[in-house]
Amino acid sequence: MKLRNILLPLALALTVGTAMAQSGTPTGTPAAVAAKIQLRGDANDLVIPEIRIVRRNDVMVVQADMKNTTESNRTVFYRFRWLDSSGSQVGDGESWKQMTVLGHQIQTVKSVALHSSAVDFRIEMNVETQ
Amino acid sequence: MTQQFMIPVLLASLLLSACATGVQSPVVRFDRQVNYGDAKSVELVTNEFGSSDLQMIAEKMVGSLLETGIFQGRPTVTISTVKNKTSEYIDTTNVMNSIQTALVKSGKVRFTRAITEMQAGVDELQRQNQSGLYKNKTTAKVGQMTAAKYSMEGELTSIVKQNNSTKDVFYKFTLKMFDVEEGTIEWQDEKEIRKTSKR
Repeated sequence: MKLRNILLPLALALTVGTAMAQSGTPTGTPAAVAAKIQLRGDANDLVIPEIRIVRRNDVMVVQADMKNTTESNRTVFYRFRWLDSSGSQVGDGESWKQMTVLGHQIQTVKSVALHSSAVDFRIEMNVETQ
Repeated sequence: MTQQFMIPVLLASLLLSACATGVQSPVVRFDRQVNYGDAKSVELVTNEFGSSDLQMIAEKMVGSLLETGIFQGRPTVTISTVKNKTSEYIDTTNVMNSIQTALVKSGKVRFTRAITEMQAGVDELQRQNQSGLYKNKTTAKVGQMTAAKYSMEGELTSIVKQNNSTKDVFYKFTLKMFDVEEGTIEWQDEKEIRKTSKR
């Protein structure tokens, strides 16, 4: 009885700790898209339904749609991280951007790789409620 | 029974707080008065022109230039004027430096000396050719510079509106690339930024 009383809260604490340490995935975002997203914290009902990738004039061009599924506004902080064929980061990394997504609005973010060695990318982001 | 339950809960809380505290950083200081921050963070101190605006402008312009493919054949480019038409003091050279740095690192274009950089180049050529200090074979020859095919010209403007509670600043950076020989605009793009603050 005593052992169960000790183990239950400990297991709960470890679960919470693990959940806090891992980055989440926006609920409702397709798995293929989610693989490119590095979300910090809760998605707060923001979904990324589609990402479009093209290689134009030897550089990667990526567009991502960010959809707010609620009526209240969301503030998104995001940046693209470009990776080469070995998975290493290309360049110094982009600056963080702030964007407001109004209720039920879809905003498209775009970025162009600044070097032709970029073959993959990740979108680092976190979502704040307003 | 309550006491039996409380002890493990306290233990668990202690465990969590221990995880949150983490290890000490390898720094020498007495307190946390000064910290190094992320240079790429979104700067929201005031709504005047800031580091995030500079970075966003540079990224948009470089991305647009590379995407269009105007740099096929690695042409030569020079930076001409960058006008600051806002009411603020802004070092526009910084914006162009960031654009130039990213373009040079892309390997798609070659930059020639800008007008402001030319005197240093001329001085070095004269030193090598006229001082009599150097071996003839090793001196850089006069009249061998490569001229720029394209010239970049930029302009930063702003519209400021405010009332008792709100200040709205709209910045617009326009960058044009001229073909020097033909005088035609071969590429042009804009970056618009809106910053609103409440008192």
